[in-house]
Amino acid sequence: MFFHIVLERNMQLHPRHFGRNLRENLVSKLMKDVEGTCSGRHGFVVAITGIENVGKGLIRDGTGFVTFPVKYQCVVFRPFKGEILEAVVTMVNKMGFFAEAGPVQIFVSNHLIPDDMEFQSGDMPNYTTSDGSVKIQKDSEVRLKIIGTRVDATEIFCIGTIKDDFLGVINDPAAA
Amino acid sequence: MEKGGKGFSLPTKTARKSSLKSTTTKQASLKGKDDSSAKSKRAMKVQFDVEGSLGKFETPLPKDSSKWGKGDKTAKGGKGSVSKPPPPLELKIEQELPENVKCMMDCEAADILQGIQDQMTILSKDPEFKLPPSFDRGLLYAKRVDHYTNPPSVRQVLQTLKKYGVSDGEICVIANVCPELVDEVFALVPSLKNKRSKLSEPLKDVLVELAKLKKSTSLESQMKSAEAGNPGNVGGLGVVDL
Repeated sequence: MFFHIVLERNMQLHPRHFGRNLRENLVSKLMKDVEGTCSGRHGFVVAITGIENVGKGLIRDGTGFVTFPVKYQCVVFRPFKGEILEAVVTMVNKMGFFAEAGPVQIFVSNHLIPDDMEFQSGDMPNYTTSDGSVKIQKDSEVRLKIIGTRVDATEIFCIGTIKDDFLGVINDPAAA
Repeated sequence: MEKGGKGFSLPTKTARKSSLKSTTTKQASLKGKDDSSAKSKRAMKVQFDVEGSLGKFETPLPKDSSKWGKGDKTAKGGKGSVSKPPPPLELKIEQELPENVKCMMDCEAADILQGIQDQMTILSKDPEFKLPPSFDRGLLYAKRVDHYTNPPSVRQVLQTLKKYGVSDGEICVIANVCPELVDEVFALVPSLKNKRSKLSEPLKDVLVELAKLKKSTSLESQMKSAEAGNPGNVGGLGVVDL
C-alpha cells in the first residue's frame, strides 16, 4: 500500500556545493540518496514530494563538510500482512508462482494455491483448474493476500496466498 | 484452541496473547508444562514471520514439541486435524507505523506519481538525475490498479465509513480492492467483521457510489481501440474474445 510520510535525514554536503544553489544541491543530493531505497519500517521510498524544513547546517570538526537536518515528505510503498494486492505473475514453477506488485516481489507457494489447480509444465508453465476454466500463467493478474514479509537491504519480499475467498485470477492474458 | 492437543494450528497474534494470559485455564489442557509451551509458542513467534493458516505447508515446528504431549503429535498432519480454523489474518497498519503516516489509495498515489513524472522534463536538466527503477514500477503499478476516474470523490465517499469506526488503512484497502459485493469486503477485510451489523447498510450505499466512480471497463476500451484500428470491422465483435 502507498503511504505519505514525513521523514528526516541528516545530509552531508561538500563545500563545493555551497553558494546560491545550496538548497537545490541539497535537495538533489537528498533525492539521489533516498529515492529508490528501502527500509523495513517504511518500505520503498518511491518518490519525494516536497521538502518540509531544512535545519541549520553544522560544520563537522576536522572536515569542511556541513550536516543539514532535512525533513521531507515522500510517497512510500510498503506491503503489510493481511493486505490485498493485485499483482502480475512473472514466473510459474512447480513450487508456486512469483508475482510483482510495484517494487515488491511476492511468492505464492503451491500450498497456498487452491487444491483444484494443478501445475502444467511446458513452454508456458501454468496452474490450471481441472476444467480448464481458470489459468494462472506469466502476465496473469491475480488478487492475493500478503501473509508474510521479509526486508533485505534493497528490496522487500513477500509471501502471499490466493486460497481465500475472492482471491485469484482477475485477468487471464490468454483471453485478452 | 481449547483442546490444544487436537486442535493445533499456528498461533496468530490474538491466539498468542490469549494463551499467554490465561495460562491456568487453556494451557492446563496441554499436557506439557505451562512454561515450556508458552516458551515454545514464543519461540514459534520468533522463527517465522508468516501468520495465519498454512494448512499442509512445511513449517519448522520447534524440536521440543514433544514436550507438548502426545496429543499434539497429531497436529503435524496440519489440515485434517484442525478442529477450529485460526482467525483470519487482519490488517494492523496503524499499530505498525508512526502516527504521522497517511495511508494513500492507489488512485491518489497514481495521480501524485504521474505529476512527478510530468515534472521530469524540468528535473532532467540535471544530467546526473535519474528516477530510480522503484519509481517506474511504483507508477506502473499505481496506474494499473487505478480503477477510478476521480480520486478525491472516492476519498469523500469512503470517509463516510469513518464514523462507524473504520480505520484509514481499512478504507484504503476497500478502495484498492474495488469490491462489488458487501460480502467481498468482509471476506477481504476480516477486521470489519465484528462491525458487520452496523456496517452492512452503509457499505452497500458506498459500493453503489464507488461503482459510479469506476473507470470504463476493459471491454469498452477494447472496443474503442478496435474501432479506431479497424474501421472496416463493424461492431468490433470479432476482435474481442470473451
